[in-house]
Amino acid sequence: MAITKIIEIPYSLEIPVGPQHPALHEPLLLKVYADGEEVVKVEVYTGYNHRGIEKLAERNSFYRDIFIVGRVCGICNTVHANCYVRALEQILGIEPNNRAKYLRVLAMELERIHSHMLINAVMAEIIGFESLFMNIMLDRERIMKAKEILTGNRVLADYMMVGGVRRDINDEKKNKLLKLLNKTEERVKYYKQVFMEDDTILKRLVDVGIITKTDVLKYSLIGPPARASGVKIDARASDKYDAYDEVPFNVVVKKEGDSWARMILRWDEALESINMCKYILENLPSDGNPVPDEKRLPRRFPPGEAFTRVEAPRGELTYYVMSDGKPMPYRVKIRTPSFNNIINTANVYLGHSIADVPVILVSWDPCISCMERITVLDLTTGERKRMHLKELARGGRKWVSPRYSI
Amino acid sequence: MSYKDVLNKLVGEGLLTPSGEVKPHRLIYVFESGKIRELFTKLIDLAGVEGFYVSTIVGTDLMKDGKIRLDYYVVFLPQEETIVFRTFLPRENPEIDSLLDIIPGVLSGECETYDLLGVVFKGNPALKRGFFVPKDVYEKGIYPLRKDAKV
Repeated sequence: MAITKIIEIPYSLEIPVGPQHPALHEPLLLKVYADGEEVVKVEVYTGYNHRGIEKLAERNSFYRDIFIVGRVCGICNTVHANCYVRALEQILGIEPNNRAKYLRVLAMELERIHSHMLINAVMAEIIGFESLFMNIMLDRERIMKAKEILTGNRVLADYMMVGGVRRDINDEKKNKLLKLLNKTEERVKYYKQVFMEDDTILKRLVDVGIITKTDVLKYSLIGPPARASGVKIDARASDKYDAYDEVPFNVVVKKEGDSWARMILRWDEALESINMCKYILENLPSDGNPVPDEKRLPRRFPPGEAFTRVEAPRGELTYYVMSDGKPMPYRVKIRTPSFNNIINTANVYLGHSIADVPVILVSWDPCISCMERITVLDLTTGERKRMHLKELARGGRKWVSPRYSI
Repeated sequence: MSYKDVLNKLVGEGLLTPSGEVKPHRLIYVFESGKIRELFTKLIDLAGVEGFYVSTIVGTDLMKDGKIRLDYYVVFLPQEETIVFRTFLPRENPEIDSLLDIIPGVLSGECETYDLLGVVFKGNPALKRGFFVPKDVYEKGIYPLRKDAKV
């Protein structure tokens, strides 16, 4: 099979885990080799934005690291902080009260809703539905508002602390949150229906980027890509951390294993999360103040090691923290879900057309913050041209506004 | 076969030795670094390809002991029980066989551990400096997560 084209796609992905830790919210390069329109080989290149967060964590105190790990990823900052804080609590032998546990779950589930809405919006944009993208993002703002009401900030929450959370909520805030959730639920149901019924969306997503159950486990894929291929793994259900042992929810699993299943699964999970948030607000325990007194927190960490897992919106996120009794951690190891889901999936693109590459990549939910400068190199003519990812998704055709296309 | 039976069998065959736990309740089993391929091949035979996945590889530089500790965090299904397979390598010239051909999911973990700690996974053709580490650091031959590395 002669290779006639090389396509270089330097993605800018939002950084999840710094320089010492790669993962995917960083700039990433996929080199796609194509025969005609068919993809025959994909190479993944990393290392464009390694921030050295693991090394940085070793040079700062246990408590300051809570703020550092919260900045690994903008979208899922509360899950990062939660996973790290729970590792510290394991080493210290501290347990927060039930109200704090419920509030933690509330913050993390709000994050899951807006993260799933975001990636579905990006998928809509990639396949050419810019209005749908804008509508989903507009509705997503309600959840950002809800997160602001709960944590005090719409993006970087800094909500988790050892032994509890940083803010409590009152009845007024509770009612505001319930109103926002009810409005969002209607919209999410509508968007799910659009993704289920629209012909164009179905044509672009169904049977694209299929991965089997066996391959999911061989390649260590996790989160929605695994659940969309029939693998029932969910750290919330197995580890039952915080209040996940008391808040009822279903682990959504699909069998199709294609890009469409991964996107629909995210809508279903968003609906589950909305129900969980409503349950928490209606059944919030009152067993004390969820905000611990910082001055009374232990200053010394005994030697020990902890490995905590959390189900981030993109899948299982793990933190390993080792203390040798000194004021700073001896080792902090972060493994984000995108680290497995993006680097280990180069084979899934094979056999698909070039226009499917962005669709498959987005279906992994790699948290792309900026997509620019795709270079297409035609090996027969030596011609090299640059195009946007959206243009590539349309098979290299430039987008023309419907107003001018008649 | 449940994961407990699998582990007991591997302990009985002398491939694993129980050695405490990582909080919360993640059991640690120590193995000899030279037997890693034998261990994971038997694991696949006993638990099946769909019986587990390698969640992450954690390398730690134990400079005072002159060792590098390598932990394979393996999640057994369907219970999602996390078990730690631990081994130790000499700090000078740390080498271990790659698992890439039998468990492709270790690709990202092996490449990262090589680039940041300098552990060589023999048989992994994808190992390269600069996988994550910037050029100005790796050109000096520095492995940033070593305790004596100044970056």
